[in-house]
Formats: sequence, structure tokens, C-alpha cells
Amino acid sequence: MTTGAGITALSRVVAGAGVVFVVGVLPWLSRRSPELAVLRARSAEQEATPAALASVRAELGFDDGPWAVFGRWLAGALTGDLGTSWVSGAPVLPAVLAGLGVSLTLMAFALAVAAGISALLVAPVLRRVLRGGGAGTTGGSGATAAALTALPEFLLAAFLLVIVAVWLGWAPPYGWAGPQHAVLPALALGVPAGGLVGRLLAESVAAAATEPWVGTWQTARLSRARTAAAVVRRALPGVLPQIGLVLVGLTGAAVAVEEVFAIPGLGRTTLGAASTLDLPLLQGGALALLAVAAVAGSCAAAARRLVLGAALRTGDVPVPSVQTSARRGRFVVPGTAGALLLAVVVAGLGRDPYTSAHPRLAPPSASLPLGSDAVGRDLLARVAHGALPTVGVALAVLAATLAVGVLLGLAPRVSTGLAEVANAAPPVLAGLVVAAVLGPSAGGAALGVALVGWAPFAAHTAALVSEIRAQPHVRLLPVLGVGPVRTLFRHVLPAAAGPLVRHAALRLPGTALALAALGFLGLGTQPPSPEWGRLLADGMPYVERAPWAVLAPAGMLVLIAVLAVSLAAATRARRPGSRPSCPDSGRKLAETAARTP
Amino acid sequence: MFPIRRASAALALGTSVLLLSGCFAASGTAEGGGDAGDRVSVAMLLPPRSGLSPFSDDAFKLSRWRTAETLVQLDAAGDAQPMLATGWSRVDPTTWRFELRDDVTFHDGTPLSAGQVADVLTRATRASPPPRILDGVELTATPDGEDAVLVSTAVADPLVPQRLSSPQLSVLAPDAYGPDGRVDPAGHGTGPFRLTDVQGTAGATLDRYDGYWGEPAGVAGIDVSFVPDGTARTAALRTGTADVVEAIPPGQAPLVDDELVHEVPMPRTNTLYLNTDRGPFADPAVRAAAREALDRAALVAGAYEGRADAAEGLLGPALPWAAGLRDDPAYTAALENRPEPAPVDGVPITLGTFTDRAELPEVAVLLEQQLEAAGFVVTQDVREYSAIEADALDGAFDAFILSRATVLDSGDPVAYLASDFGCAGGFNLSQFCDPGVQAALDEAAGLEAGPERRAATSRAEAAVLGADAAVPLLHERVIQGESARVDGVARDPRERDLITTGTGVGAP
Repeated sequence: MTTGAGITALSRVVAGAGVVFVVGVLPWLSRRSPELAVLRARSAEQEATPAALASVRAELGFDDGPWAVFGRWLAGALTGDLGTSWVSGAPVLPAVLAGLGVSLTLMAFALAVAAGISALLVAPVLRRVLRGGGAGTTGGSGATAAALTALPEFLLAAFLLVIVAVWLGWAPPYGWAGPQHAVLPALALGVPAGGLVGRLLAESVAAAATEPWVGTWQTARLSRARTAAAVVRRALPGVLPQIGLVLVGLTGAAVAVEEVFAIPGLGRTTLGAASTLDLPLLQGGALALLAVAAVAGSCAAAARRLVLGAALRTGDVPVPSVQTSARRGRFVVPGTAGALLLAVVVAGLGRDPYTSAHPRLAPPSASLPLGSDAVGRDLLARVAHGALPTVGVALAVLAATLAVGVLLGLAPRVSTGLAEVANAAPPVLAGLVVAAVLGPSAGGAALGVALVGWAPFAAHTAALVSEIRAQPHVRLLPVLGVGPVRTLFRHVLPAAAGPLVRHAALRLPGTALALAALGFLGLGTQPPSPEWGRLLADGMPYVERAPWAVLAPAGMLVLIAVLAVSLAAATRARRPGSRPSCPDSGRKLAETAARTP
Repeated sequence: MFPIRRASAALALGTSVLLLSGCFAASGTAEGGGDAGDRVSVAMLLPPRSGLSPFSDDAFKLSRWRTAETLVQLDAAGDAQPMLATGWSRVDPTTWRFELRDDVTFHDGTPLSAGQVADVLTRATRASPPPRILDGVELTATPDGEDAVLVSTAVADPLVPQRLSSPQLSVLAPDAYGPDGRVDPAGHGTGPFRLTDVQGTAGATLDRYDGYWGEPAGVAGIDVSFVPDGTARTAALRTGTADVVEAIPPGQAPLVDDELVHEVPMPRTNTLYLNTDRGPFADPAVRAAAREALDRAALVAGAYEGRADAAEGLLGPALPWAAGLRDDPAYTAALENRPEPAPVDGVPITLGTFTDRAELPEVAVLLEQQLEAAGFVVTQDVREYSAIEADALDGAFDAFILSRATVLDSGDPVAYLASDFGCAGGFNLSQFCDPGVQAALDEAAGLEAGPERRAATSRAEAAVLGADAAVPLLHERVIQGESARVDGVARDPRERDLITTGTGVGAP
């Protein structure tokens, strides 16, 4: 345990140091000169004369080169002095702490919303399994949760701003002067996060409810509430690391929402610092995010140990029983979603997605079934032509991140620090590094997203694997002469595969949006190509006058999320034997015992 | 039964109490500044970047709030008028003498002195970067007795009074200038409003300064919020959260009552810069084909919803004299001698622009279609400005759409023309160098402000357009929102003035 904790701590320190170092040499990796970036930040339209650049260079001591600049910063940082911002000359630490306070407050409010949404999603599953019906399935296809998860935060933010603040006048449109200002941003952040957590938890609850003890408790007529609490408690450990990651995401990755509601949070501070190459501020912001990640990660791990407790050490973690309950009509939801998607794509493929021949912002009509965008292009044609590049690239990135995540998740202690960095570092930072090293390119966005996208899968793998390894039949395998490799590939990974694939399906829309979000660095495809992320971004300024311009791509994202998640759920139900089961291991155990002289 | 749950509940409660008590920004309304009804609230576009240092772009905020003042101000025509200086004279070709107003006190009570003015101007020349208005100008300032300052330049400069009107040369009290080089304008200006509080990038609070030397302010104070999102800024006006709103996006303007939005022509031109050095546009006939392919009206109607002016030349309606000089025979001759367009079927070009101005990507989409209709094969490259500037300056694109300020702080466009089209220009996206254009620019730069300088500037513009080095597309307007309860808000094309002493609030 102590060695493990030591390795985890070391991994965190190494990963944190790595990030700080990469940030420290960022300008020298890229062709961007830090003096030009600082000059632009201070004076946007000024001609970058050699004299002006020289004066900035001299002031900030760039002439000594990256090592000297980084060394000076490090010397200060080790004594607790994070230096002063290159752009404003103000001390970094107070700015970062102020942003962090705001972000944590916002995170707390968003967490409350997310908890409520999760509870709403888990409650029906819990009720069903306790009635004894459909244990082992999440009951629904997860369509609601998938749809919630697919809603981009910035889109929710804009709709909430227009509907709640402007039309209804129930909340102030922007600012950060009291709890009334936190309601709308917390909703925008909390709803998708709650969808994700709720779905994972519902899945975990459904699995836990198939464990033999649940039946025993019910036979023993223990109160339903008590059984429910125990099932939730049993289901939590596998999801806790994910909740930790979501918390960190709500703190650091809330930039879009902070921007809409003019909230002076850490995400905006860090993004601003990144785009002006204000390295001390960027390093300070990254360190703060990593600290949040480390605290959240440690808390999640500690909570997990507390919940699983002795079972994890003694190898008594219960095993879900065989799932035979193939729901009838399980293909209705994926079938409908798939048919709708197909219909849109087929209808739109024959139309021209590039011409501006139509009136701008035309509402949906017979000739333009989904309306037109701000430059008069046919939205039906654009979403149809954008389907393949959007979904194809997102799937490829997901497959890669899933593979990397599983690989690193198998060595959780070593990879903890790395995973926390990957999760906490704003994706834009990964994008900046990719853009700096490789230059703007079409593949750069995929690489940037892949660089950080594996973290949730690694955390999920680690949690699932440690539980599976603590199950009695897996613990017995070495005694039976089953080697570690065979154990991993025949017993551990197959058991973890289902939840991981369903998790990946849930992250499909988020990945598609993350890919488009790096476009401002010149990464990814360039306009006018009709990726859904770009369609959304193009439509955002017209969210009120022409909601169809954002609803078309957002609807497609929701459909694809529903399709992916419900399909993953349906196929699980069809192949119940894919999970190793108690009787199976028992049989093997008996066979092996019989052969033993 | 659930120790974790209890512990986490306690933790959550403790954290939320802590967070709720401490982590919201202070309220924007100040105490003691009169009741909120007398105050004007402003939603501004960009948060301060440099801690409101007057040596940065943040200077324009200080000037829009009328908290910091300069020696000279510009009137609508761009001519120099008294401010902290009551008058000036040219002592010799390189030296100007400015007489200071004698009843001026800073907000901290110290009186304005010649020594302080000279010290501030000297500090400005040593700032990094030095204010853009002083690009290429070597300026020294010395006190001349108690009530005057001598300003001299290394070479004779006809524009010294205009230069001193730049908000970046605002004069603050001695205490504003810290030993670490930071400048704190709070409580250190001379204007009718005193900056009392700055809430980071969230907002700022100003109160009326009763010791102001001029006419006192009509409102008790200003409450500023920085709201980067266009939808939120527009919502501020629609919900009455703010009285004055900067830069409403053209796409949002139709959502607001027409009475509340005001368009101000900007000295800003969206121009298509063509790479004259490399690629297809090195051939003047291909440049001519691009020029002929454009439909400006479609750009104005499409991306700007009619809230822009199709460009006649590089200088727009914010410089009213420019249009009159385009009828000059020499001007029309320069344009008539342009080469005939070449056939461009299948000529591949790259088109760059940036996302920071939301309309530019839409302009790029429309432009791509217009150029492709003429036969070009266009590849777009659109990034954030900071990620694309270096490549654009290197000439990495065949064509680049830039929204460019044509008059910087002095009110004079020659510096813009020289930096964009001069051989040594630092913003020469067209990689353009032509002896005839350079001669025209040099001639204009040497003349005193007045009709001759304007005529020479116009000749330089004609020379640039005659070479098709750049194709002006349109001139932007800024859309300013004002609620029904405010009046007397300045609508300033140069974005220096906003709330003035004449601004008042009444019943809605």
C-alpha cells in the first residue's frame, strides 16, 4: 500500500513537472515568438517593429533563451513564487487563486445539478431491479442519458441565456456577484455531466443488482430502501473515479460557459494565457488544475477504498450472475435513431452543401427541410455531408483512446499522474503543443484530442480491473496454474470490455465536438467543410433568430449518441455469455481439481 | 451505516459555506456614489489585458470612462483641441511648447505639474512596447518652468499635437507609477470620473470626481462589466442590465429595438491582401481577375446584414475627405491603367483569415464562392489571429482577409498605408514593394497636416489600388447599444470616448 501510494505520488510529480516544462518551452517549440504574443496582448494593432519587439524581449529577459527563462521560473516556483504575468506584470498566484475560487464555486453548483440529474436517471433503474424485473439490464436503452450527454455545454448556455434570462427574466444574463448568477452556468455544466455520471451509475447499479446477495437480501425480506442503499453503495466504486474526473472537468474545462456568462474563472484565465503565450500565468493555471485533479483523484480513490473496504483486500468482491434477460424490443430505440440518421443522410447527400444560393437563415420549409445557415447554405445537405467525416474521425479517435486507456489503466499506479494531467489539462493545451510541434494540419486535431482523451478510459479500466481481480474466481486462477497473461486476456479484460465499450459510446458526441473545438489553432479540417462541430459554431451567433441552424447539428449529435449507447446496450443483452460467470469458473475449478492428483 | 456519506456530506457543507461566503466577485455598485438610479452601467467587449496600464490597449478604456486625460484631444475632424494643455506652439522645427492648464488636480489631490507631465511622457517612451503612436518617433519631454512642457523630436514632426492625444499618453499622478513598472490608474487620473475599484476581468467601478477642472459629470458614477460574449452583451441591453453596450454583433442587432442601436462608421477596412511576391497573384493580371470577381454588395448584405459600407477605396466614410479626392483625374487614371484580368480557370489559391472577428469567417465563405465562380480553386485556412499572424506576415497565403484600422491614434492614415504597403512596412501582408508607391508614401509622410497631406495620401492610395496589391472589401460599422434611460453617450468612431460629462440618465 505504501509503495503503491509512493509510486502514485511520484507519478503525479513527474507528470506535473512534465506539463510545467512543456509549457515552459512552448514558444521555442513552435515558431511563435513570445515577444510578439506579449506585444499583441498589450497592443493589438501595433506594428511589430524590431524596436518594439526588442523592448519586450529585454523587459522579460527572453534573450537568455528558454533554459534561463524556465530556470528563473522554477527557482521562484520552488520557493512558492509563481512569478508575474508577462502581459500584465501582475503576480500570478493571486490571479490563479481568485480564478480557482470562482471555478470551484461554480463546480460546486454544477455538481449539485449533476447529482440531481444522475439521481433522476438512476432511480427508475433501481426501482425496476428491486422489483425483480430485468435485473442486469439498465432497463432503458440509456437514450435519455445519452441525449443529455450529447448536449454541448455552450449550446445549453446560449439557450438558457436567451430563454431564462432574456425571455423570462428569471435570472441575470451574466456576471458573478452572487448565487443567482450561478444558476444558469451550473445548469449548462451540470446537465451533460449528470447525464454521463447517471448513465455510468445506472449501468453499474444494474450489474450490482444481479449479484447473488441481492436475491438473498430480498428473500430475507430486508426493507427495499436498505437493499437499494446497499446496491447503490455496491455500484459506486466502479464509477467514483469517473465522478472525480467529471469534477475536474467541471473546474477546468468550463471555458465556454465562463465565456458566455462572463464568469472570471480559472478556465478563462488559462485559455487567455494560452492564446497570449503568457507562460507564467499558463503554468500557474495548469498547476492549479493539476492540484485540483490530484485532490479529486485521491478523494475518489480513498472513497472507493472505504466503500469496497475489506472485500477488495480479501478477494470477496461479489460477482454479477449470468444475464439472460434479453429484453424484447431492445432494438426499437437504436433502430429508430439509426433510421432517422440514415434518412437525413440519404436525403441530404444528393444536395449541394457549399453553395450559398439560398436565402440566409431561412426557416425549415418544403424545399429546405432543415432550413439554411447564416450564409444561405442548405443545412440538410451540410449535416448529411458532415456525417461521415464527423462520426468517422470521432470513432477512430475513440478507438485509439480506448486502446491507450485500457493499456495504461492496467498499470494504474504508474499512470495515475499521467491520467490526471491528461484529464485536467485543458484540451486546448494539448492542441497548442500539437500545433507547436507539427504545425497546423488536418490530423492535428485528432492527435490533440487523442493525447488527452484516454484518461477517463484509463481510470475506468483501473477501477473495473481492480474489482474483477478481487473476485474469488479470478483470485483462484493462479492457484489453478493459469498464467497472468491468460488471466488478463481470458478473464479480466473480457469482463471489463462491455462497460468500457458502452462508456466509449457515451463519449462519442463529446469527442466530435472536441475535435471541432481545436479548429481555431488551424488543427482539423478547414472551412467550408461541413463537420457538425463547425456547423454548431457557425450557428451559435444566430441561436435565437435561427435556432434550426444549431438544432440540426445538435440533433444529429443527439441521434448518434442515442444510437451508439442504445446499440451498445442492446448487443450486451444479446450476448449474455460474454461475461465470465461464477458457474463457469466453478466448473473449471472442478475440472482442474479433478485432474489434480 | 454510511460513514463516507456522512463525511462527504460534512465536507460538502463546509466547502459550500466557504465558497458561498468568499468566492463571488464584489458587487459592481459602489457605496457613497449616489443611489443606483444616477449611475450608468456599461457592458464592454474586452476585459482589461494589462491591468489597465495606460501604456497598453487598456488606455482606451481609461479614455472611454473619462478617468484619465491627455494633453490634447481630437475633434470630430481629427484636429487637435485643448485638454490638459490649453495651447501649444512650434518653437522650432523639432520642438513644440505646450502650456498646461493650471487648475487641474489628480484624483488623489496632488496638483498637475510640468515636471509630472514630462516624467509621464518620458516613461511612455521607455515602456515596452512603446506606445504605437510613437512608432519611429524619438521624443523627449522636459519641463519649461512650472506651467509648460517642451516636447522635441529627433526629426521634424508635423503631427506632435495629434500624437499627444493618444490615450496611451494619458497623464496620471506620480503615485500611479510603481517601482516594478506597473501602472495603477485607480484614483490617479484627472478626469471627471474617478476609478475607485477594479474587479479583475469582471468589472470596474467609477464615481464622479467633484474636483474636476471642467464641467462636472452629469451622472454619479459608472459601473462597468466586461462581457466578451455577443449574445450576453445584447441580452444586457434587452433585459436592462446595462445602459450602454459596446459592439453588438450585426447578427444580434435585429433582436433589439431599433431605437436602441446606433451604428457608427469605423475607420476600419476589411481588405483582401493579395500576395504580390509568390504564387498566382505575383501576376498582376491574375490579381485583376480576383478584383473583378468580387461582389461587395453580397458581402455587405450577407455577412453584415447591410450594417457595413461597400468599399470604394482603402479609406472609408470615417474619413469623409477621402471620397471627394477620388474624382481627381490622376486618381481615376491610376485605376484605369490597371491590367486586364487573365483567365484563371483552375488556378489554385489559399485564402487565410481569422476567427477573432466573427464576421470574417462568413466573409471568407462568401468570398470563396465568388472567387470560385471566376475560376479560382480556393482552399481556406481560418485560425485564431494569434495562431495565424506569423504565417500571414511571412506570406504563407496567396490571399488574406484582414480587418485593419486605417487611422491609428493620430487620426492620420499615412502610417497605416506605409506599414501595409511600404517596402519596409511591418504589416506588409501583400509582400508588396513598388518604387512609385513608396515615393508617394514618402511624400505624404513629410507634409504638414492639411489639404496637401490629404491629397498626397489620396495619390498613395491610388497607387496601391492601381497595382492591385490589395482589394478593399468593405468598411465596418460598430453597433452601440444605448438604453432608453440614457442620453448624451458619445458615439466615437475612434473608440476613445463613450461616457462623457454630458452623459445623463433619466426615467426609462
